[in-house]
Amino acid sequence: MKNISLFILILMASACTKKFDDYPEPKETLAGNVKTAAAKVNLQSEAGDRGIRLVLEELSWSKTPTPYYFFAMQDGSFRNTKIFKGNYRISVEGPFVPLLQYDGSGQITVDNRKTMDIAGTTNVDFEVEPFLNVEWIGEPAYNSANQAISVQVRFTRGTANPLFQQNVTDVFLFVSPNTYVGNNNYDNKYSVQVNYSGTTGNDQLGQTVTLTTKDKLPASRAYYLRVGARVDYGLKYYNYTTVKTLNIP
Amino acid sequence: MKLKIFLLSIVCFVGCTDLDIPPMNVIQDKDVFTTEGGIRIYMARCYSELPLEDFRYSPTRGTNHFWIINPQPANTGEALSRDLNGSTTEGFNFWERAYPLLREANYFLQTLPTYAGNFQQADVNHWMGEARFIRAVTYMALVKRYGGVPIVNTVLNYPEQSIEELRVPRASEAAVYDSIAADLDFAYNNMKPTSESGRANKYVAAAFKSRAMLYAGSIAKYNQIQLFDGNQNRLCGIPATRANEYFKAAYDAAVLLEGQYSLYRKNWTAGDKAAQMQNYINLFFDATSGENILIKGYKYPETVHGYDAYNVPRQLMGGNGYSSEVNPTLNLVELFDGIPKNADGTIQTLDATGKYILYTNTLDLFANAEPRLRASVIVPGDVFKNESIEIYRGIYTGAVAGGIDRLLPEGSTAPYPAANIVSSANAQQTPFTLPDGSKKNPAGRSGVFTADGTAAVSGFSVRKYLDPARPTAEVLENRSDQTWIEMRYAEVLLNRAEAAYELYAGGQAGNYLQDAFNIINQIRDRAGAVLLGSIAELNNINIVRNERRKELAFENKVWWDLKRWRILDKEQNGTVYRTLMPFYAAGAGKYFFDARFDERNSRYTFDTRWYYQEIPGSEISKSQNLIQNPGY
Repeated sequence: MKNISLFILILMASACTKKFDDYPEPKETLAGNVKTAAAKVNLQSEAGDRGIRLVLEELSWSKTPTPYYFFAMQDGSFRNTKIFKGNYRISVEGPFVPLLQYDGSGQITVDNRKTMDIAGTTNVDFEVEPFLNVEWIGEPAYNSANQAISVQVRFTRGTANPLFQQNVTDVFLFVSPNTYVGNNNYDNKYSVQVNYSGTTGNDQLGQTVTLTTKDKLPASRAYYLRVGARVDYGLKYYNYTTVKTLNIP
Repeated sequence: MKLKIFLLSIVCFVGCTDLDIPPMNVIQDKDVFTTEGGIRIYMARCYSELPLEDFRYSPTRGTNHFWIINPQPANTGEALSRDLNGSTTEGFNFWERAYPLLREANYFLQTLPTYAGNFQQADVNHWMGEARFIRAVTYMALVKRYGGVPIVNTVLNYPEQSIEELRVPRASEAAVYDSIAADLDFAYNNMKPTSESGRANKYVAAAFKSRAMLYAGSIAKYNQIQLFDGNQNRLCGIPATRANEYFKAAYDAAVLLEGQYSLYRKNWTAGDKAAQMQNYINLFFDATSGENILIKGYKYPETVHGYDAYNVPRQLMGGNGYSSEVNPTLNLVELFDGIPKNADGTIQTLDATGKYILYTNTLDLFANAEPRLRASVIVPGDVFKNESIEIYRGIYTGAVAGGIDRLLPEGSTAPYPAANIVSSANAQQTPFTLPDGSKKNPAGRSGVFTADGTAAVSGFSVRKYLDPARPTAEVLENRSDQTWIEMRYAEVLLNRAEAAYELYAGGQAGNYLQDAFNIINQIRDRAGAVLLGSIAELNNINIVRNERRKELAFENKVWWDLKRWRILDKEQNGTVYRTLMPFYAAGAGKYFFDARFDERNSRYTFDTRWYYQEIPGSEISKSQNLIQNPGY
């Protein structure tokens, strides 16, 4: 009986391994920017899952890996310091002409994804064609008489590819009390959206569009402003201007 | 020690032979598949698991859940609710509920032929068709949520099959719809024309096929999202070239039901709006209705729901303290006929000089309303359970001489001004003394209250499906047992009309426009609505769609329609829905109505990603072959 107990004890001891997970911790850095192909400036988007998203597929182990996603910052830059060392296929998704395109039968027609090793600090920039370029014209103006802010913007096509020149559906002046301003974060009391039906939005391409906040903005505080516009394509993400701050006295 | 081991081995040898029998306490295939009763029990479970969006469904908690305080109509613009105040997508894992049911259907299909000798061939065929029907309805529930899903039409076995084999990848969206069509065609060709209540027959299969193919056609025509796997399977989206093929299949399937079912008109009388309204109410309660195609029965105390408890008007609230979860929006009410309207189709509440029109009773505004509206919606002052349902927002105490001006500017979402308006925060009201010395509560007994959402927050309360005969003492959770009509002939007709219009619009030869016109007028005639004057008036798909939205309102179908038409992101784009607030003008002793945006300022924005719902992460963890839908 003692022998049996001893045997079982040995069995148990050998069954549980004392070795820890011996993979090196993820400590490589992937950093870079998503830029517009034409002007080579960072593409503005929103923070979070309706902005710009990095898609990493680690090819070191499998040809069809489950993708790993992380989001770019709203100014179009990205930085992730906890990536496993390895060989990756990297893509970005967002409000621009997709890097990976298919024809109607599912054949890949365009593939601008990048395959590279990530080791140490790997920098990579993507150049993309946004659906729309949205630009400020002048500075936002505060009208103290009716406690409203007026802005002027212009949006133009960011791509010459007719497949991605859908109708412009709306333009939106987002107002927020903090810097993270966009469709993900705005105060709907003051923000204003102009919807276009059919092709009427396309007539505004290249024109100066004036937008004025709704309601009355309270005094003695700063507001962060941004204008987004979008076309009727796919998941309908917004293209944005940069963020402007306006201090209301 | 040796003796013990010896004895033990004897016990073992003796024991082994006798233990090699199936466990006596577990029901075997031979117990189930040899009698009609066994088959019935097997099917009863399948039907109970069938993913129907009925009285026990809400987008937050899914199907077969008792607590439905987040009603689907508050997600579509049909209604406003205290507990659902913005666009939402389903928040439960439907995937893991669907595949066990598919397995049950597949197991049945695989096993029954072995025992076919026990039954008549016609019965076996019928049941095989029934299992295919169950499978098709389950795939339908999957594909409308996720797009293409793995097609599993056999019983999977582990460990006989390797893990890699069991990780079935997603099929294309079109392939899933084609599989549904094949299953339902099989069911149509093999099933009997009649069945017991609550179970499928060949015409039920055809009706579901018309629904499924209409969805497929709409996706092909209107969807813009695409997702491919590496093998040219389009997981999200269907090639636009297939739209007409699917619409034709929907149309043909709907035609098969002609003469088998009919619109319910038992109490309908020409020219009598009261009778037409009562007829429309009865349609949802008459077990012998020739319009019912597939129903889901309930019976207290075994199988119950709480539809009445959650949705009765506030003044008829039951003991659980719920009420008025579904309050129809003015946007929906304005689709109906027979109410005074402005040129742009909105309700007319102001006279030519911009002053409010005054009414002696709140019901007067709806005196000529379409009977279907009043049978679906309780309008202010209408009678339910022999009570006048009192709905008004407040008492206006300002001057009335020369008419009353708008309380707020057009389009305002601001709260009402405090000046000249007396209102109630909740149902504990302090009566207000009117100029003639009499007392009147500042708000109706069913609302609207400023700080208590268990009231008619939109100015309306739902009527469809509310049991008019259930005493208030029984208006409790898990106490209602009225029947859910999952498929009724009106939907089949509307499927046919929509498919016909789409075929006409798609340039297909045939008498489609005429057919769509006839159907719309059949539906409208029964509803007591204004008929289309001529075929030329049917010049827009929205006429067909709006008819569907009116006829099927509050039946948990509209959300899927808005999704498959791919218009929900346009309808819900920072949208605040409209409400109708009656006020009592103390000086005039009359009521007026203010049409306004929801005072609670509930704003709806549909996320375009939700056209294809997120595949639950737990399922992708189990099978890395599953490709996630775009944007998640």
